[in-house]
Amino acid sequence: MKILPLLLLASLATPAMARPNDFPTSGRMEYVLECMQKHEGKYEFLYKCSCVIDRIAEAMSYEDYVAMSTALRDQSLPGERGGAFRDPPSVKVMADKYKTIQANANKACHVQQR
Amino acid sequence: MSFQTSLIRWWPCLALAVSPAFAADSDTAQLSKDPKNWAMQSGDLSNQRYSELKQINSKNARNLQVAWTFSTGVLRGHEGGPLVIGDTMYLHSPFPNKVFAISLEDQGIKWKYEPKQDPTVIPVMCCDTVNRGLAYANGKIFLQQADTTLVALDAKTGAELWKTKVGDPKIGETTTNAPHIFKDKLLTGISGGEFGVRGRIAAYDPNTGKLLWKAFSTGPDKDMLIDPAKTMTWTDGKMAPVGPDSSLKSWQGDQWKLGGGTTWGWYSYDPQLNLMYYGTGNPSTWNPRQRPGDNKWSMTIFARDLDTGVAKWVYQMTPHDEWDYDGVNEMILADINVKGKPRKALVHFDRNGFGYTMDRQSGELLVAEKYDPVVNWASHIDMKSGRPVVVAKYSTDKNGPDVNSKGICPSALGTKDQQPASYSPKTGLFYVPTNHVCMDYEPFQIEYTAGQPYVGSTLSMYPAPNSHGGMGNFIAWDASSGKIVWSKPEKFSVWSGALSTAGDVVFYGTLEGYIKAVDNKGKELWKFKTPSGIIGNVMTWEYKGKQYIGVLSGIGGWAGIGLAAGLTKGTEGLGAVGGYKDLAKYTELGGVLTVFALPDR
Repeated sequence: MKILPLLLLASLATPAMARPNDFPTSGRMEYVLECMQKHEGKYEFLYKCSCVIDRIAEAMSYEDYVAMSTALRDQSLPGERGGAFRDPPSVKVMADKYKTIQANANKACHVQQR
Repeated sequence: MSFQTSLIRWWPCLALAVSPAFAADSDTAQLSKDPKNWAMQSGDLSNQRYSELKQINSKNARNLQVAWTFSTGVLRGHEGGPLVIGDTMYLHSPFPNKVFAISLEDQGIKWKYEPKQDPTVIPVMCCDTVNRGLAYANGKIFLQQADTTLVALDAKTGAELWKTKVGDPKIGETTTNAPHIFKDKLLTGISGGEFGVRGRIAAYDPNTGKLLWKAFSTGPDKDMLIDPAKTMTWTDGKMAPVGPDSSLKSWQGDQWKLGGGTTWGWYSYDPQLNLMYYGTGNPSTWNPRQRPGDNKWSMTIFARDLDTGVAKWVYQMTPHDEWDYDGVNEMILADINVKGKPRKALVHFDRNGFGYTMDRQSGELLVAEKYDPVVNWASHIDMKSGRPVVVAKYSTDKNGPDVNSKGICPSALGTKDQQPASYSPKTGLFYVPTNHVCMDYEPFQIEYTAGQPYVGSTLSMYPAPNSHGGMGNFIAWDASSGKIVWSKPEKFSVWSGALSTAGDVVFYGTLEGYIKAVDNKGKELWKFKTPSGIIGNVMTWEYKGKQYIGVLSGIGGWAGIGLAAGLTKGTEGLGAVGGYKDLAKYTELGGVLTVFALPDR
């Protein structure tokens, strides 16, 4: 009886901080458009990709999403510039974390990883 | 191309070019004085990237909204920015170096130019297929293509007027710099410091494409247009002539022939002194043991007479480079008080982490201080000799090949790369986009092969330790005292060029794709997420009474920037869907110019 409210509080408090669900519409649209484009623009991916970005938005703040997805994308830059994203462990961690969240969201939304 | 064909091709141009023996002054400087235009890549001859426009100010900047966007159709890193002259915008793209003339009235494409270039030039470009933009003069647009072709186009029609080659990609020579128009000359440089090319700068006649002078960064005095008795440099606390063979003596054997010292940065020009300024890049290779000596004049600020090309003064910032601290970054000309005395100054934020203030007339060294406190490879610049005092444990030369020198700050990216800073005459401060990244550096022995990378080093980079954890800062700098006034931390390096305005707003872009507006104190007023990371330079203009802010985004390296065009397929679909579709009034896939303005009241 005593534990329950505490647990409730904990489970409410932590996710509330970790899940501000603060993605702007433009941020979600950008993701959906790109994701649809990756899948030949098929209409079903409007739903699937929306599902993915909504899940990602639940898992992190928009600011973190922008930083982490930047980290992942910029690892593929050529030369020294990409090096600045491939080398630092902190950036690698960000990129990997985003990759995992995205992969789980894809799985949950019937989107094949590409 | 055979000699015969080239003759045939050039005859009409030669015939046309007979009359103006001395080309008239360009209208570029005059156009750039009208803040409604953005007639040069840096806004003016002095590289200040400052605008007198103030409709957008520190009170209303938070209301900025997207006015229109334009996509270049190229999925690569987009550096530089557009030019605006009157009612027309001129915009370039990375390789294949397309050029668009866009009507400011309805954003329709007036004309488009796309050169045919051999794609084999791509692998010899060290750092993505970027292009830093166009130049304009007297009704002509000038494009410096990746394959070293320099082209003049009719600004009204896009028709080719002349073209000439300024280098040879087969030996690793490519071009990424914007051509610069100063008075009656068209200046251009060369890239390829990672391929053992021999850097130089060259002046062409904008009317004909005829070479007027060419000055190498290394080698015999006559090749460098250095006068051993008259070209001065900072020596023992005063200016003194460089003396004969200043470069030859600073290299082993004929290594100067592969010496690097490339010239892909932002040049500036002082019309009163008739001097043009630019910096030279790293010496080849990155393994310092293989090239003993000071390796002059790599890593050097050059001041040259615009008419003759002869060097008035030189200053080598990083003699015998051991870290790839290219000296090409922009030379900003500003008339400021230095230590209480009014000076015609040149201010330069070098990759090596020091901010230099020079007397641009005499070449005297006035100030040299770290513009990121983590810079550690040198303890300071000895103001008497002008040389950095290198810290032994960070010397990749002393530590030698196959030894990993750890914890060197800054990294090879430099405390700042080419992304140009801005100077506001209103505040007297410089606004500087910076890297906050350190590295481990391990040089190794390498043999030179023409057209192959001549690097000879492996490195590993990371955010500056024991700091805010981010990889960049946007700072305000006082060049008269050499002090940081404020510093705004950024998660990633800041690789976009800055803009300051009379409206007390300073703009820059980030790698996450944000364009940000801050006030003169560094307080963030507004940010907007563009479709991709920003490595272009923020610029501004006015059209029909409205001030606009423009910036290119598109960092390259990933497919995602295509999303800006919506649901069409990949780039390959573009040409396929009916020949001239791209001349229509809608945008293509690729890097995007986003334009902002205040909403109508």
